[in-house]
Amino acid sequence: MRAKNNNGMGWLFASPYLLYGLIFFLIPLGWSFYLSITDWNLIAPVFHHVGIDNFIKALKSPGVHAAFFVTFKFMIVFVPMVIASSLIVALVVHGLPRFKGLFLIGFFLPYLASGVVSSFIVKGFLSYNSPVNTFLRGQFGLDINWLGTPLSALLLVAVIIAWKFTGYYALILTSGFESINQEIYEAAAIDGVNGWQRFWKITLPLLYPALFTTLILSIGVTFGIFTEVYQLTGGGPNFGTNTWQMEIYKQAFQNLSAGYASAVALIASVVTFISIFIIRKFLEMWGKRNGWT
Amino acid sequence: MKMKKAASLLLGASVLAGSLAGCSTGNPASEDSTSKNGTTTIEFWAAPNPPQQAYWKETAKAFEKDHPKIKIKVSPIKESPTSEASIQSAIAGKEAPTMSENINRGFAAQLAESKAIEPLNKMAGYDDILKSRNMSNTIKGWKFSDGNQYVLPIYSNAMLFGWRLDILKKLGVNEPPKTYSEVLDVTKKLKAKYPDKYLWAKPDLADPTAWKRWFDFFMLYDAASGGNKFIEGNKLVADDKAGVDVLNFMDNIRKEKGILTKQSKDPFETGLGIFTDIGPWTLQYWEEKFPEMKYNETFAFSTPPVPDGTDTKNVSTFADTKGLVIYSSAPENEKKAAMEFIKWVYSKPENDVKWMEKTNLPPARDDLATNDAFKVIYEKNPALKPYAEAIPNAVPSIDNAKYNELQTYIGQYAVNPVVKGEVQPKKGWEKMKEAIEGDLK
Repeated sequence: MRAKNNNGMGWLFASPYLLYGLIFFLIPLGWSFYLSITDWNLIAPVFHHVGIDNFIKALKSPGVHAAFFVTFKFMIVFVPMVIASSLIVALVVHGLPRFKGLFLIGFFLPYLASGVVSSFIVKGFLSYNSPVNTFLRGQFGLDINWLGTPLSALLLVAVIIAWKFTGYYALILTSGFESINQEIYEAAAIDGVNGWQRFWKITLPLLYPALFTTLILSIGVTFGIFTEVYQLTGGGPNFGTNTWQMEIYKQAFQNLSAGYASAVALIASVVTFISIFIIRKFLEMWGKRNGWT
Repeated sequence: MKMKKAASLLLGASVLAGSLAGCSTGNPASEDSTSKNGTTTIEFWAAPNPPQQAYWKETAKAFEKDHPKIKIKVSPIKESPTSEASIQSAIAGKEAPTMSENINRGFAAQLAESKAIEPLNKMAGYDDILKSRNMSNTIKGWKFSDGNQYVLPIYSNAMLFGWRLDILKKLGVNEPPKTYSEVLDVTKKLKAKYPDKYLWAKPDLADPTAWKRWFDFFMLYDAASGGNKFIEGNKLVADDKAGVDVLNFMDNIRKEKGILTKQSKDPFETGLGIFTDIGPWTLQYWEEKFPEMKYNETFAFSTPPVPDGTDTKNVSTFADTKGLVIYSSAPENEKKAAMEFIKWVYSKPENDVKWMEKTNLPPARDDLATNDAFKVIYEKNPALKPYAEAIPNAVPSIDNAKYNELQTYIGQYAVNPVVKGEVQPKKGWEKMKEAIEGDLK
């Protein structure tokens, strides 16, 4: 009887979240499924059910192909970049004798900065007639088309996003470092372990949970890139930075094709889910093989 | 058991809440929304910029004095994320206003196809507006492919090209070139004297975003084709010769190293580029940020350059123009009141004078260059006169509901690769046509 009462209370306390989930996730998801099999633009009085035509069209679309590959390109560039930079920041902060919190807040601030503002600043900074480019041309004869080639534009966007997320991930990694008991290092030193063994056999295994979290979070970020790309490149040049979010935005808000945009969004969700699932399994296997989990 | 009941209750409540939200009826078109005291209130969404907001609020107040039974609520169109998307959401949520402004022809075509806006030509009082505002010629180009007029153009920016006159003079050229070969000649002279400067410094040339084609390709294409419609209904009717000429022109400037597509800050104002599209709104910006830009000293205007051998008088150009629409979802009494308001506004030229003074945007009227009421504006700001003179030759944007996709192809397959030297102009034109025709099927 008591267990039943507890269950009821549990449901009651969970109900706000369940309601929220139902209204803001489940109903829109169902609605999105429905839209994806129509050619509706949300305003026409008449629309048609088109079956899986929107999905077929999306799978043949150069914009969707680009979104698929660009996301993985971003992943290859962005994830190592942000993990390395946040590890460095975390190591530096961890080694500080005091004011660790203050420095961490400083590194965390870019995370709070508006992507629109930082993109505008970068745009001005790298414009053809900016002091930086004028200097590079004048002194070294370097005329770099920063946003004009797919590779440089992708690298630049990855750097901006890495700058934004470094402080956030460093916060997670610093807490990982802080949780490692110093006595383990002291014991290892007595046993005569070298620097590499110290890192590989002690630091990495004990930091693994924090590292796992940051890796999964950073991989997730690559599936949601929008603001920087929208502001700096519009998905170009030649679809070189056309992310899933950019493609969905173009279809939904520029072409006003709600049905087709829903199909693209659903494909993006499936790709995201499968990719993260596979990567997560690999990371878990890596941890298990080394005995870290 | 209790848990099941609680869960069922929760689910039931959610579904009911969702259904109720989804079933909100807003203002059904059949309903009469006149209040008990006989007042009709109409909702008017105006462009979110301060000058236009101020203009419409003042004008609405003046109208209400003359028409106490009609109230006009002026509010800015939300731009989340774009004004078009906000309007689309409002219509979908049955929260559309009675009328709104800032609607371009392409978006109007999307709305018209969805039967979301009224054909104004079928509403009582439409002909009176055309007559009293003297806009019968200007509005001709606005006729949609189904023969209706869904938008009443408020302003028409006949887009012109600006030239850095001070730099041209240093090259020994006293007035803006008019033909392609004259422009190429200027490019050669410019690169010989100032290798670091460019004829056309504009990052948008390498950007496929649909609307950007209005301010490069369509200006030149309208001029080269004499105002050919490009797309009529669902058919590509583009003038091949004019299109390839335009792309060849761009390619030739590129070959002379006269095009810069890298991001640059204020390239025309800083003299990095000496040729660019200019709308009248730029003049206000220059007054504040670049007071050294003086008409007929630092800069001059010209209609778009044309292929050699083409008449250089009465050259067509692109009309950046937006207008008013009335939404079909509004109750009949509101639609009538909205029409009454539009009739009142455009029965008096002084309202258009006030509009131009506040916004610098040329009203869409046939007599803008000749009507004495506007003379005082040109005396104060002579740079606006060329815009007024170009209005009769200005061609509005295409009226296809897929304008966004279609104009993206122009950039993606033709303009962008041509200015980067990645495709031959003729080949680019053919690929663009293939993509457009494929989408129009």
